[in-house]
Amino acid sequence: MKKYTRPLRMSKREKRDAWTFSAFVFPNFLLLGVFVFWPIVYSLYLSFFKWNMIAPRKTFIGMMNYVNMANDPVFWQVLRNTLVLAASTVFVKLAMALGLAVLLNRKIRAKDSYRAVLFSPTFTTSVAVAMVWGWIFDPNFGLLRVFINAVGLRSPNWLGDVSWALPAIIIVVIWSGVGYDMVIFMAGLNNIPTELYDAAKVDGATPWTCFWRITFPLLSPTTFFLTIVSVIGSLKAFDVIAIMTDGGPMNSTNVIVYYIYQNAFQWFKTGYASALALVLFVIIMTITLVQTRLARRWVHY
Amino acid sequence: MKVARYSWSIAMALFLAIPTALWANGTKEDATQGPVKIVYWRSLTGVAGDAQEELVKRFNAAQDKVIVESQFQGAYADLIQKLLAGLAAGTVPDVVLLDSPFVVLFAKDGALAPLDALVSKDKSGFKLADYIPGLLQDGYYDGKLYAVPFMRSTPLLYYNADMFREAGLPDRAPKTWDEFREFSRKLTLVTAGETTRFGSAFTLSTSTAHWYFQGAVYAYGGLVSDDKFGIHLSEAPAIKAATLWQDMVFKDKTAIGSTDPHTEFLNKRVGMVFGSTGSMGNLFSRATFKVNAAFLPGQVKNLVPVGGAVLAMTSTDKVRQAATWEFLKYMTNADSVSYIVQTTGYMPVSTSSMNHPDTVAYFTKYPERKVALDQLKFTRPQASVISLGKGTEILRQMVEKLLVGGMDPAKVMAETTVDLTKEYNDTFK
Repeated sequence: MKKYTRPLRMSKREKRDAWTFSAFVFPNFLLLGVFVFWPIVYSLYLSFFKWNMIAPRKTFIGMMNYVNMANDPVFWQVLRNTLVLAASTVFVKLAMALGLAVLLNRKIRAKDSYRAVLFSPTFTTSVAVAMVWGWIFDPNFGLLRVFINAVGLRSPNWLGDVSWALPAIIIVVIWSGVGYDMVIFMAGLNNIPTELYDAAKVDGATPWTCFWRITFPLLSPTTFFLTIVSVIGSLKAFDVIAIMTDGGPMNSTNVIVYYIYQNAFQWFKTGYASALALVLFVIIMTITLVQTRLARRWVHY
Repeated sequence: MKVARYSWSIAMALFLAIPTALWANGTKEDATQGPVKIVYWRSLTGVAGDAQEELVKRFNAAQDKVIVESQFQGAYADLIQKLLAGLAAGTVPDVVLLDSPFVVLFAKDGALAPLDALVSKDKSGFKLADYIPGLLQDGYYDGKLYAVPFMRSTPLLYYNADMFREAGLPDRAPKTWDEFREFSRKLTLVTAGETTRFGSAFTLSTSTAHWYFQGAVYAYGGLVSDDKFGIHLSEAPAIKAATLWQDMVFKDKTAIGSTDPHTEFLNKRVGMVFGSTGSMGNLFSRATFKVNAAFLPGQVKNLVPVGGAVLAMTSTDKVRQAATWEFLKYMTNADSVSYIVQTTGYMPVSTSSMNHPDTVAYFTKYPERKVALDQLKFTRPQASVISLGKGTEILRQMVEKLLVGGMDPAKVMAETTVDLTKEYNDTFK
């Protein structure tokens, strides 16, 4: 194979292309720089200080914010909640979305209406979603109570009970995300050539075999994309929690992003909040890297 | 491809132009020409919000030296967040409606302008002594005055008078906490093993949970913390109050902890709730039954922590500070305060507004609203720990540990003392 060597000087055309390229990427870089990279660097800097955002001077305290974090029982509880929320929402949500996508990809009546209904949480404001679910969960007047009573059980005090509040949040997060994932899965399904199914049918494959041998492997890039997006999304859950529970009762639904918000904007602990934000950043990056690694084993392009 | 060649500079120019344009918009007006424009950040919605707008309008119409622009910034907590952002960015308003506990926090680091020089220079006949001393007190930090009282409130007990009659209770609020417990028991209804109605609801909400608990501790003759930040939660009064609250929830099962007790009350799920003086208009107008407002129960004494908002100055230059001072005086003069009292139910904050003919006439017409005025004699400022960054939150968590977690009161108080001490050291050292 011949090795390609670059001429030392760029031709006029190449120069012009380089400039055009820079011109087009510059606005993006500027925005990313100002709103993404600079905040990351500045958070890292702030995480070594004690600062309430009011005082004119910041006090350097070295690693103390990180030491305090390690000794903060709420931090560990919040971290556990965050991981529980991520793990339990992602799998259930993706499984449901895939099932729905396969169902609605068939020739059934009023398919579009079903799709629209299932997709509607995606374009509904999360604040409205959280408020309505807050009423549904109401142990005295809520809609859910009616169903629970119908099977002869007594409704738990969902949002007021330490052991029921997080499950309630998980239900809402799954409900609001399943429609979007379903649509992405449907797009993936449409990319699978129908000849494969025809050929399988000729060979006498059952729908079950078709699903596991054709649909699932060929959908794996979509599944992979949705897994990463869902994991990151659930690690960053905020709005539903802020509206429904304020992280309570007794921090049972407090997650890391909400805890960062509380520390920075309710309790004036900018340094500690920055340290927390950095920990979240490291967690998300690690999980995403691990997923990308693992993906080589099961994603077929 | 000329376009391509210039697109870089065009893009660059655009991106620089946008923020510059915004910047130019925000620069300060030249103070020497015409009236001084100042910005007022207000909070609160409904009648309490409208009343502030009306007073600003009246001030602007009444004189031509100062023009106030009123900007709504959300709830107390939202306003504080925006103020933090403003301080970090170097653009602050001139005057803010501040939740009273936060005066210390902002004054300590120089975000508020001291008012003492403006008070002593004032030749208009303004008298600081006109403000009710107990309400003026928490405008001070380190011997200097930083805020004047404006929309001040006390914690009250609201009860469903129809439910009281039906339960065979007298038409008056419980006088002591022991009686409160007794009344709660009589109001509770159990049908088929399920409690369908509780006597009372304690609030667990972020902004006020600590306030009513402070009231209970005061009633038992104790203190949450003193002026030197000594914490007294492990002493008998606080332990007794905590034990009574907890026993009502877990032993008697006649009370609940709720993050939205007023909704429970309006839905007739509970018979008694705590609320601010400022909730009076809202509860009276929305209830489908007869609501009465009363003092918070006493025990060994009648004493409540005073809450609500103050007006504080955030201006940094002299001309605007002088203009802001005129506005502060106007907002808290007898006519304005009397107007606030009549529209919102907040307390009169000065002797002159209390004796104002309109105020007097108003209370003669609506004697049931006079309870706040009567309670004014039994107020003291809130616990000093409230001014710590996380102070109110630590006390809210304490109430939550008692009423949701069911933890031993002595243990909860010990933990809370440790947390508050840590927070004090973090804030002041």
